[in-house]
This record gives sequence, structure tokens and C-alpha cells, in this order.
Amino acid sequence: MRFTRFVRRIIVLAALPLLLLAIPAAALANSASASAATASTAATATGTGWIRLAHFSPNTPAVDVYLYSFGDTSAQIVLHHVAYGEASPYEQVPTGDYTVAMRAAGASASSAAVLSASVDVVAGHAYTVAGLGPESGLRLQVLDDDLTTPPGQTLVRIIQASLKQNVVSVSWGGTTLESKLSFGSVTSYQTVSAGTGSLVVTGSGENAHISIPLAAGTVHTLVVLDGAKGLQIDNLLDAAGSAVDPAGGAATGFGGMAPRAPSSPLPWLAVIGTGLLLAVVGGRRLRRLSAARS
Amino acid sequence: MLAGRRTAALLLAIGVVAAGGGAAGLVLTRHPAVPHVSAIRVLPAPTGPIEAAPPPGAAPVAAPVSLVIPAIGVSTSLVRLGLTRTGALQVPPTTAVAGWYTGSPRPGAVGSAVIAGHIDSYLGPGVFYRLSQLRRGDRVYVRRADGTLAVFKVTEVQMYPKDAFPTLSVYGATPTPELRLITCGGTFDYSTGSYLSNTVVYATQVT
Repeated sequence: MRFTRFVRRIIVLAALPLLLLAIPAAALANSASASAATASTAATATGTGWIRLAHFSPNTPAVDVYLYSFGDTSAQIVLHHVAYGEASPYEQVPTGDYTVAMRAAGASASSAAVLSASVDVVAGHAYTVAGLGPESGLRLQVLDDDLTTPPGQTLVRIIQASLKQNVVSVSWGGTTLESKLSFGSVTSYQTVSAGTGSLVVTGSGENAHISIPLAAGTVHTLVVLDGAKGLQIDNLLDAAGSAVDPAGGAATGFGGMAPRAPSSPLPWLAVIGTGLLLAVVGGRRLRRLSAARS
Repeated sequence: MLAGRRTAALLLAIGVVAAGGGAAGLVLTRHPAVPHVSAIRVLPAPTGPIEAAPPPGAAPVAAPVSLVIPAIGVSTSLVRLGLTRTGALQVPPTTAVAGWYTGSPRPGAVGSAVIAGHIDSYLGPGVFYRLSQLRRGDRVYVRRADGTLAVFKVTEVQMYPKDAFPTLSVYGATPTPELRLITCGGTFDYSTGSYLSNTVVYATQVT
């Protein structure tokens, strides 16, 4: 009997460290599942678009341009003294309806706007709001700007804002992009092969040319303007991405910090089984021997 | 008689110890081993002339030379990355530095600049080990060859399976200066020796 108790005591003593080990193990398992939950609830898309404001009306004096979130009387952005030929950088704004208003440069913010236009900004889209045409027929036009280039190529759009040469033809690298483009018009984007070439604008009896690099993966608006000395060309970079998109994901890890998969429990079970077998055999023999002695 | 009792007691003791040890071993190896790493050492923001996005028609910004992400203790020089023979993104030759993909716009110029770094080596953490811990609003600093800094704020942290990598949102054109930080994440596939996912941090320039 004494030995049976002895055996029980040994088993209890052996089990105690197991319990102590099991508690932190369970806690670790819990924390692991908690961090996995945080990783899966990652941030969603940010819900913003872009707006840029421009003045491309040759005989209209400088203006102040205001951007209002629809229904809000205080302007979100004010650009002072925007002169002919000027375009602002893009401004990232939350999606929604906006109003763009133009006032004469220096006019009070509360005065009536000369012109206004509304823009519905959709997530991930970019817009140019440009003053176009002659002063007498000035209009604010909302242009949808493209952000997606065909692989390895360039997108180009032309705004014809020269009043002196009111019909022009435009070629790039010897290829005609547009012929007989009339004043105040905006072309849609067209795909051209990337590279550095000569952009030639030809009016009636006058032409202008500049050498411009059109990198792969970029989007451009080329603006034909009346310069101080005849035709002038502005190359606006609408957007830029990678010249060549790498294929697939990136191989940025070697696994040194990756969680190891649990190893097979079989060797441990074998050890436990053998141990129990030995204990039972030893215990029974002890009991038999002590029974024989008494 | 006494010898028999001693052998029996020994057997019993060995058996109990073996069973206990075996059970302990079993419990200890039931959950994945998590390597131990030191705590985050948050760095001070770097100092220097901060340059906003260039106005239309301005001279191009200088090439990037180093990267600091104070919130996760990253401070590294930047190597140049191209493409591998299979057209995939080249990765830095060591796990201690990050690299700028030269096919992407320069950080701070209009467009989406791409910087990649390893999450780990065979033995321990790599330069972007904690990239997935970045939160919206955290600042990222890129120093350029002319000493100027471009400052970005994190807008999104995402994890994608490599077989569904969103090429357009990572490498596609943007109208304002943005930054993409790329590393590995998710499950490590021991049969192929690579992670199955990529962590991508999206950031926009602070003006």
C-alpha cells in the first residue's frame, strides 16, 4: 500500500511541471491568434481623388481660383493670381462633389464668381479643371485625366490654347498626333511609344518645336500656348508610374523569422508510452515483491 | 530480494521521468516556435531641408540615397534595384539594406516610387521586418543625393498573396508623389523557400 501511494505521489510530481508548461503555451497560442486577426483587418482604400486647376484662356487676365467642397461656403483651396498658361499641381481630395469658381485676380472672395463648374470626384480618378476659350466665350471645362498607361508606353493629350495660331497640327517624332486642331479644343489621350523626340507644332506660317522626353509609364498633357515670341509648348506631367512593371510579387524574405510548423508528436508519444510501460512494470513488480515480503 | 526491489524502483522512476519528459516535450512543441527579437527602437526624425513636390516644369529631383522610418526603427542606405532575368523585381543583395527600383519615379517626383527590402534572412530579421506594423499617418523619410528630404505619410498597409499581386495599384501611375514600400509576409512555404504574400505600404508626400 505504501508503494502505491509512493507511485501516485511521483506521478503527481511529474505532472506538475506539465501543468505549469501548459499555461504559458495556451497564452502564446491565444496571442498568436489575436495578432492574426489584426493583420486580416487591414485598412481599406483611402477614398480620395485628385484635382488640378489651370488657366488656358489667352486673352483673359489673371484669375483667383477657388475650390469648394459642395455646399461649403469656405474654400478648401484658393489659388491667387493664376495667369494664362499656368497649371497647379494636383491636389489630393476626398471623393465627393466640388465646385470650382473663378474670380478676377484680387476680387473679394464673397463677390460673385465670373465662372463656376462642378466636379464629381470619384475615388482614384484625377481631373483638370481648366479655363478655356477666348475671354468673350470663357468656359470652365472639367477634363477626366487618364492614369493608366499601356505597358511600356506613354499617353499624350493636347490642349490647343493658342489664339494667334488658332488652327495647328502637332507631330511627335515625325508622326502626326493631330492635324487641324482648333483653338480651345482638347484631344483625348493617345498612346505613343516612349522615347525622346521632337514635338513640332505647326500653325499658319509659324511653327514651334521642343525636344521632350516621354518616359514609358507616364501620362502627359501638351499645351499649345501663345508665348511672348510666338508659339510655345508646355509639357505637363499628369502622372507617372514604373517604366516597366515588375512581374508578380517580390522575393523579399528567406524565412529566418517565419513561424516553424509544429513537429510531429509521434516521437514524444513513443517516449511517453515507453515511460508509462516502464513505470507500470516497475510498479507492479514492486507491489508483488512487497506483497511477497509481508 | 533487495536487488530485485531496487531494479523495480529504478524502472518505476525511469518510467515516470520518461513519461513526464515526453509529455513536456509534446506540449512544448505543439505551438509554432516564435523567434525572439529585440523591442522596436524608435528613431528621431532625420533633419535637413524638406522639399515639397516640385512644381510643374521644375528640374527633376535628385536620386534617393537613404531611408528612415522612425516608428519602426528603420534607418538604411538605398541600393539600386532593376529587374531579374524573369522580369521580376530585383531584391537587395543583403537583408540589411533596402533598395529603390530604378524603373519607378524618384521619391518626391510625381508618381509612385518603389522601395523594397527583406523581411528576414535565413537567421534573423531583415531591414523591413516590422514594415507590417506601420500605421496610417506614420512618417517615412527619403534623403536624396543633394541632401534634401522627401517626407511621406502612410495611407495604407496591405498584404496580398503573391499570386494575386496588384501590379496596377503598386506600380501604376499616380498624379502626385507617392511611395510604395514592399516586403514579404504571410506564410513561409518551406518547400519553395519563399513567403506566399507581400506586404505593401502606401504613402503620399507631405507638402
